[in-house]
Amino acid sequence: MSKRTTAEIYVQERELVLPGQKLARGMKPGGNAFIDESGIVRSAVVGLVSVQSEKIDVIPLSSSYIPRPNDIVLGKVTRITGTTILVDINTPMSGIILIPRGSRRHHGDDKYDLKVGDVVLAKIKSFDNLSSPLLTIDAEGLGKITRGILIKVNSAKIPRIIGKKGSMVNLLSSKSHSEIIVAQNGYVLVNPQNLKSLLAIKKALSKIQEESHVAGLSNRISRLLDEEMSGGS
Amino acid sequence: MPIYVEKKPDVLIGEDGTRTDGRSPLDLRPIKIEVGILERADGSALVEWGGNRVLAAVFGPREVHPKHMLLPDRALLRLRYNMAPFSTPERKRPGPDRRSVELSKVIRTALLPAVFIEKYPGSAIDVFVEILRSDAGTRVAGVTAASLALADAGIAMRGLVAGCSVGRVDDFIVVDPNHDEDMWGDVDMPMAVLFEDRKITLLQADGPLTVEQFNECLRLGMACCEMVYELQKEALRRPYVMVERRALGVA
Repeated sequence: MSKRTTAEIYVQERELVLPGQKLARGMKPGGNAFIDESGIVRSAVVGLVSVQSEKIDVIPLSSSYIPRPNDIVLGKVTRITGTTILVDINTPMSGIILIPRGSRRHHGDDKYDLKVGDVVLAKIKSFDNLSSPLLTIDAEGLGKITRGILIKVNSAKIPRIIGKKGSMVNLLSSKSHSEIIVAQNGYVLVNPQNLKSLLAIKKALSKIQEESHVAGLSNRISRLLDEEMSGGS
Repeated sequence: MPIYVEKKPDVLIGEDGTRTDGRSPLDLRPIKIEVGILERADGSALVEWGGNRVLAAVFGPREVHPKHMLLPDRALLRLRYNMAPFSTPERKRPGPDRRSVELSKVIRTALLPAVFIEKYPGSAIDVFVEILRSDAGTRVAGVTAASLALADAGIAMRGLVAGCSVGRVDDFIVVDPNHDEDMWGDVDMPMAVLFEDRKITLLQADGPLTVEQFNECLRLGMACCEMVYELQKEALRRPYVMVERRALGVA
């Protein structure tokens, strides 16, 4: 809560707000909020209020992915030219991987030896809102994905799927005995132990997306996974 | 030769103001709104307004095609208003015509002030307004549905846009004209308002009004748009409230 007496807040923490709804007066608009001509802070999206000391944020309940540097993303190779690899990462403009000079991609033993249709795990190197995001696969663990199942999720729900310090994804991974990689652009890559764990993860992911605005999510997901994983295979 | 010939009702409005569908001059038709009903679209809404059925779908922000339309500093907001061939009493020839091009334009400009297009440079936001069944006032139902679909898609907006028509039948100012009043009434004045600023983003009129009548229409139209706005807010909240109730009920 703000300590300043001049600030007025019209909503409660975690309240569901709609576009145009009054949030506060005398505070700074944070993410997904804006200030109107009369100085009132209003929400720009459907989301949940998060009151900070000086500003007021709205956490969207649905949104498209906007790239940020250092995000880990999953994408599909759409085009390859002599020096670049274009990757569809679920953004208005395709991501670009620059092929370094001297890469041995024609000899078939290189990270950059990719084909159209390959799925790659990449990191966003830079993005300036105007041109295509620049990606890199030049790090441990990045590059072509050879096994696993891709599940599409709403990118607004990614923070909930990861959880506080990765608590939710760890819960999913340990209870289903599967390897899970969550990419910021709205894809989850699953290497399931068996069919049962895959189905459990799919159910859990859709429950997280549906109920992300309701308190006590971790407990419900934990219970769901226990139910799904126990019983006959 | 048209098989179906529409007939003008003998009395459009009774001496006591009773309308052809039994409403009084200040009654809206029943409105039912549902948000997020299309799985494959980023945002969607269905508006059932009297006999109108209007489906709006939003895709984007997504890649701009054709590339030469790309705007480097803001999003390209495109809108298509389309009437289904079965939406009218007589089969409508499919495809864009003069009227639907105009309506696409006015609905787009009614929504444009609401959308923070500068937040999505170099992308396209495509809005599709499909009229499944028409019964006068499809453009205002279209604006109402499209603004909800945009909000459902998570696109940043200054507020919701609600629409409603007003009109004049003889000496009566009526709100939300029905099909008969639209065809044979004197004036139809559709309007759309951006809330909560109450800024008018669409205003058209197709007949003579005195200054007093115009001001009365404007006042009533604003009040009706506000009623539609209240319904919009309820519809946008409903899915989340229902999930919350179910989740906590089980817990």
